[in-house]
Amino acid sequence: MKTAIVTDSTSDIPENIAEKYNISIIPAILVVNGKSYKDGEGITRKQFYEELPHLTIPPTTATPPLNAFQDVYETLLSSGYTNIISVHVAKSLSGIYNTALLAARTFNNKIHVIDSEQISLGLGFQAIIAAEQAIQGIQVNPILDKISTIQSKIRVFAMLDTVDYLRRSGRVSWAKARISSLLRIKPFIELRKGFVYNVGQVRTRRKGIIRLKSMLDKLGAIERLAVLHSNAESDALGFASDLVNTVSSHPIIVNVTTILGTHVGPNGLGFATVLA
Amino acid sequence: MSSESQNKGQVELFKHSSDHPIDGMALKKLASAGLKWLKTNQEVVNSLNVFPVPDGDTGTNMVLTMQSAFDEIADSPEENIGKMAQKLSHGALMGARGNSGVILSQILRGFARALDDNETLDIPTLVKGLIEAKETAYKGVVRPVEGTILTVAKDIAIAAEFAQFNTDDPILFLQKIVEAADQSVQKTPDLLPVLKEAGVVDSGGKGLFYLFEGMLKYIKGEPLDTSSTIIQPISALNLENTLESIEPGQDFEVVVDFSPNKKLNLEKFYSDLEQMGTSIQVGEGDGMYRMHIHVPTEKRYEPIDYTMTLGTIKQVHLENLVDQISELQKSRNQEKIVFTPVEPGQIAVIAVSPGKGLTRVFASLGVTAIVAGGQTMNPSTKEIIAAFDNLPANKIIILPNNKNIIMAAEAAKDVTVKTVAVIPSKTVPEGLSAMLRYVPDGDFTTIVKDMNDALDDVETGEITTATRDVEIDGVQVKRGEIIALLNGKLLLSAKSLEDGCLKFLEKAKVEEFELITLFYGENIKKSEANRIVDLIRNKYPNLDIEVQEGGQPHYQFIISLE
Repeated sequence: MKTAIVTDSTSDIPENIAEKYNISIIPAILVVNGKSYKDGEGITRKQFYEELPHLTIPPTTATPPLNAFQDVYETLLSSGYTNIISVHVAKSLSGIYNTALLAARTFNNKIHVIDSEQISLGLGFQAIIAAEQAIQGIQVNPILDKISTIQSKIRVFAMLDTVDYLRRSGRVSWAKARISSLLRIKPFIELRKGFVYNVGQVRTRRKGIIRLKSMLDKLGAIERLAVLHSNAESDALGFASDLVNTVSSHPIIVNVTTILGTHVGPNGLGFATVLA
Repeated sequence: MSSESQNKGQVELFKHSSDHPIDGMALKKLASAGLKWLKTNQEVVNSLNVFPVPDGDTGTNMVLTMQSAFDEIADSPEENIGKMAQKLSHGALMGARGNSGVILSQILRGFARALDDNETLDIPTLVKGLIEAKETAYKGVVRPVEGTILTVAKDIAIAAEFAQFNTDDPILFLQKIVEAADQSVQKTPDLLPVLKEAGVVDSGGKGLFYLFEGMLKYIKGEPLDTSSTIIQPISALNLENTLESIEPGQDFEVVVDFSPNKKLNLEKFYSDLEQMGTSIQVGEGDGMYRMHIHVPTEKRYEPIDYTMTLGTIKQVHLENLVDQISELQKSRNQEKIVFTPVEPGQIAVIAVSPGKGLTRVFASLGVTAIVAGGQTMNPSTKEIIAAFDNLPANKIIILPNNKNIIMAAEAAKDVTVKTVAVIPSKTVPEGLSAMLRYVPDGDFTTIVKDMNDALDDVETGEITTATRDVEIDGVQVKRGEIIALLNGKLLLSAKSLEDGCLKFLEKAKVEEFELITLFYGENIKKSEANRIVDLIRNKYPNLDIEVQEGGQPHYQFIISLE
């Protein structure tokens, strides 16, 4: 029995890691000015974030077509895999999970579609850990159990440079979020169980970065870490280098998926971590 | 006058104290007398401000606190002096405003505790009461500072201990206390350098002195409604703040500048004016006098005609207060501000806000409720308790946002059954900074700590108009000049508002900060605020600069530097 791991491009898994662990990645779709792009093709993340503030029509995201999933599943099953774990971005944030579920139906229970309740490396770490196990030949059920354990240990926090994009996206319940509409503020968000929570706010970047570090410190011992940014590479590198003493392994640093970027805007900085 | 004859009767009553012991009813009369005399001298106490800024208003705070204390006993037939003192103490606690008001309420609390439920008061019990009053007042303050009302309370207690061996006559005894209080007030500048530098005595101590002096005057049968001693320099007249508290029948404010033909008989001047209206203040400088009075509509020209009989009028200022107040209320009622409700179990936050714009900003950050108040209008303990009670939450954080409101918030916390934490924010920017750390679902202790930590994240600038001439912290200030304070310390004075703002930012080393937020007050127009902010933007193109309507009175700008 051989298990394959499939995820989507919102997982932000770096190419080299995906290759190393044989993770199949289905690209999400980005619509900018009426034009559709597969995530990572046609428009680089850097280009996207540079243009984002000037776009009058907010970019939207779309779910990849059903056959994008079916093709991947079919190829994997015909090349010797007996099972597939297809783990995806939180269903509360995107239609990807539901499309995957629909695509899986025709494959006779060989495909286990999982709602990661996360995005970016919050999702990516689940796929990576599952793939590490699969490569060791671990059976599908223990891997599914492992994913469920990991899900409870994942924490994702970020400081956004502005609330504007999040507000426009409608991904946060504004009645409950205490984010000032008057003062220019930088909100802290946490993605928990598929929902975006406002966990504070700050008015200057300098203090924001200090606070973000203390949020990470308060989580205690961690096993894995990814520093997430939306086109704020130097801040991300600075953040990561200051952490060297607290984290054993070198963190993954990613310019986050444009699918997420369209909701959070440029210059965001955050982290995804798996608690020890 | 009937009050005169009553006064005479009281003299007799006290002379034969064995036949007419000092009971609950006597305490009521004494409290009333102290209050009345304090009220008469309210503006004198108000003018004893260290910084030449419109704030503090110690006189007003003490009068309102004492008024609340007296209201509690006004209709009480209680003859037991211990019980009467308890009521007085309760009323004072509820009505306590400002730090001086809270300390005064502590003084009354200690006094009441010592009296227990004694039927009447003798000198040894009175001494015990004054000592306990002092003790309680000191305990109520985290870091007691000498040269304040506390010192005066202490000197009163010491004088009482000595006086009991020298006399058993209540009038003489009280006389000694009043003398000691007077001397103590006079030496406050020696104990507190900031007073010496500003050339004033401590305002709270002076207020306490007036309370005791009022009682003594009453026993001696002297009038309490005319302040024979007050003649302030014109620059000390604190006319801006009288608007907040107009009573019915005070429809017009009349201010007349004049030079008298011959030496002014102040006693007569005052008593003549009292026939016309209230809130009388007289100032003098360089042979010129300024008279201030509130009168009913039909008497609006009387003070002018009257003053004309005494000398040459230089200038007259007439203002319809009712109209002004209703304008003020109209603009306050204009927009409804929506607060975020708390759900069961969540932490609620109450912020004290001095202006509509700031209220809106606090609301946008998620405060659950606002208590109106600030520099010149300190809310009472009762108002704060009411705010606690009105919230459907058991865990409440309060942001006083003013150094003079922190103690009232602490006092309110001690009374309520709810779990309350006072985050000692001394300024609005500090309060806003703390608000950024608020998470309604968080752990109470953690959130309180986080919010406390956030107080240090900002520095506060305040731009206002000097209320009098002074030299303090090495800065020369003339009344009417623009002055700037950084974290409560006087930084500079300037001739114009824009000059004051730019100099302030320079001195505050603004280029070391990342974000500057200016909240403009109700005394300047939006266009003027924007004009000044544009100048600042031009000078500091690399800074993030934001401007918001604050709506606070008296302060052209409150500035947050972070």
